[in-house]
Amino acid sequence: MNDAVVASASESGKKVRLHKRSADHPGVDIPGMILLLPASLLLLALFVLPVGYAFYLGFTNITLIGPASVHFHFTGIANVHRLGRDTLFWKSLWLTAVFLAGSVVGVTVVGMALAVVMQRSAAWLRAGVGAVAIVAWMLPPITVAVVWYAFTTSGGTLSLVTPGDGDSLNHFPMLIVTLANVWSTAGFSMLILSSGLRAVPSEVIEAALMEGTARWRIFLSVTLPIMRPTIVTNVLLVTLLSLANFALIYIMTAGGTDNSTDILPVYSYQQGFVFKKLGYGALLGDVLVIISTVFAYLYVRAARQRPVRTRLADGV
Amino acid sequence: MHPVGIRLMPRPYVKIASLLATALLAASILPASGLAAGKTVVTVAYSPTFVFDTNDLAAKWWNSIKDQFEKQYPNAEVKLVPIEGGYDDIVNKLSLLYRSPATTPDVVQIPTPVIAEWVASGYLLPLDSYVAKTDWWQDFPQVIKDEDTFNGKVYAVSSGENDSMLYYNKDMFKKAGLPVPWNPQNWDDILTAARQIHAKVPDVVPMWLMAGTSVGTVGIEMGSGNLLFGSSDSTIYDAATQKWVVDSPGLREVLGFYHSIYSEGLGAKLSDLFSPTAHTVPVTDLIPKAEVAIVLGSNFYGGQWGKLVCAPCWDKATEVEGVAPIPYVKGQAPNVTTTVAGWDYAVAAVTPHPKEAFDLVNLMSNESNSIDMANWSGFVPGSSKFAMAPALINFGPPVNELASKIIADGKILPPLADFEVWSKGLQEATGTMAQHPETTVDQAIGILKDYVTNQLGEDKVETR
Repeated sequence: MNDAVVASASESGKKVRLHKRSADHPGVDIPGMILLLPASLLLLALFVLPVGYAFYLGFTNITLIGPASVHFHFTGIANVHRLGRDTLFWKSLWLTAVFLAGSVVGVTVVGMALAVVMQRSAAWLRAGVGAVAIVAWMLPPITVAVVWYAFTTSGGTLSLVTPGDGDSLNHFPMLIVTLANVWSTAGFSMLILSSGLRAVPSEVIEAALMEGTARWRIFLSVTLPIMRPTIVTNVLLVTLLSLANFALIYIMTAGGTDNSTDILPVYSYQQGFVFKKLGYGALLGDVLVIISTVFAYLYVRAARQRPVRTRLADGV
Repeated sequence: MHPVGIRLMPRPYVKIASLLATALLAASILPASGLAAGKTVVTVAYSPTFVFDTNDLAAKWWNSIKDQFEKQYPNAEVKLVPIEGGYDDIVNKLSLLYRSPATTPDVVQIPTPVIAEWVASGYLLPLDSYVAKTDWWQDFPQVIKDEDTFNGKVYAVSSGENDSMLYYNKDMFKKAGLPVPWNPQNWDDILTAARQIHAKVPDVVPMWLMAGTSVGTVGIEMGSGNLLFGSSDSTIYDAATQKWVVDSPGLREVLGFYHSIYSEGLGAKLSDLFSPTAHTVPVTDLIPKAEVAIVLGSNFYGGQWGKLVCAPCWDKATEVEGVAPIPYVKGQAPNVTTTVAGWDYAVAAVTPHPKEAFDLVNLMSNESNSIDMANWSGFVPGSSKFAMAPALINFGPPVNELASKIIADGKILPPLADFEVWSKGLQEATGTMAQHPETTVDQAIGILKDYVTNQLGEDKVETR
């Protein structure tokens, strides 16, 4: 599936580039470049340099406090060497993957279900449900964390329907934090997928209906393939949003006993700000930046695809 | 190209905007000109939300200090720099402020476990010559003086300390046929009482014993650390070998006690133990609601139930709740064990006016300010004279009196940066025992050992 996505993204990327070269190639636009200069300088000063510096810090022995907080130095690959031997880092990387996979699948399925149900419902219901889902998405992570913490620990509403001491958060921490993330992000996914659903040409669906195809079959074989670019965009954005969702897990479990929810952002914080090892914490952050960059790159590639409706109209 | 911004703005507004800009500029310069006029500004960084029992009391105490100082020194001004957040947030924010002399506060209130790192960074001013002239330093017990002294020099002054003790519910003890007043002589006595409560007083938690990672090192200070200091080998960091102890008879005794509590169902429920505010759960909920029989807890509970703090108000506190010192594992002398950790005042090495800065520390450390700080924050004051003053003892009976008496027998946790790593390892071990009661002592030792070894390396750990 991933290979298919990448292949299709690169294919359409080529098309876009060819199109640009043949029709829109502007030549060197000096005034345009001058106008872009302030923005470029800002980008350089506020993004490229800090990220570059953070990468450099990842290769030093800097600490938050103590002698090495003032007189730190470059330590070569010592931190990387440690990273390789750090069993907690590998565990953390695995937990990050589990959290992301759970979140992406959960958010997409719930978001899609909401989008489909809303497409078929009355306008007032659509507006109401849409508003509620979006409010859940707009809530700050602290609120989401507190709501889910109260909901899933002893005495919470969930404990009334679960057996044992009802302390779901402490017995299934990864499942609960993932559900909390799904709950808070599904509204965002619903927005994206709803617009994708609306872009599915009704004539295609009608044609399929006239052929006597079952509804579920139309959804799987017609709607989903047409929505593929939207779904890819949704998956990548949800991945990036979840990867950055440090606050939710930190507030709910702070990593948890046995480090059961110690995803990479939480572990990086722990090294930098609990153990005061800023250098090693920065290196863990660097790993996170690399992972995010890969997903961001995939997102940009996917976003460059031409809209489905245009391609259909062109007979592509 | 047109200067778009100006073209879009009608002329009168341009004038108003430039006038406003000038006014703003003038306003930003004015305080600086106040400085130039000769007023010495002493900045002091403090926690408005974490140290005191309520935010109102914090504001009241710090504003009063500002007023007193400015009255006493008309040419000086105290600038309060509040540092929001919890323990780690305060330490982190202060660490960042100290990186530049421009943002370094002249005076600071910092937690004692991190002072050594500030000293190692060269951030703090030695205070020996200053404290020698005060009328309170001589009354500090040795354990607190040691906590403030590094490499033979005094770098900080205690603003108040926390220690720990056993709280017990007298009604439940009577119901279970246990003696009141209760004076356990060793750890077996504590376990016996907890088991008897479990058998005879259903539906209450027999014993509260901090476990897990949710409140960080505070959980060691108010839990396992007390037991370790009362074990047969309390070494955490071996100064001779410069290694961290991950397996010792003492640690096995402590984890054995945890094993008994959690494998026999004598402990509290996980959602309370692993709560982000676990250290306040007994004082705000379990004790006043009569849901727990024995609590290994902090002295700060004492003033919480009184009329001033009222968190929650509980007028039957002295009637219902008894206190006792925590004994050693087998009743060894001195048979009183407790951790000692608190918050200290320190003066920045780069302060341009060290005399005024210490004058402020001196004012904050006088009898009435010390006792207010202690009562409103749940501390034992640094000076043993103030610690036995009626104004303090009567504020939280019978807790404050016992807290003041036992502090001299207390010990401090190693003030080293890597202590946080060792501490996290022990929190993981106790947390696992609470969550999975079948965890054996060997397995718990394994958790501590693996955690510290993974973080610090094989050559930094040892077994005793």
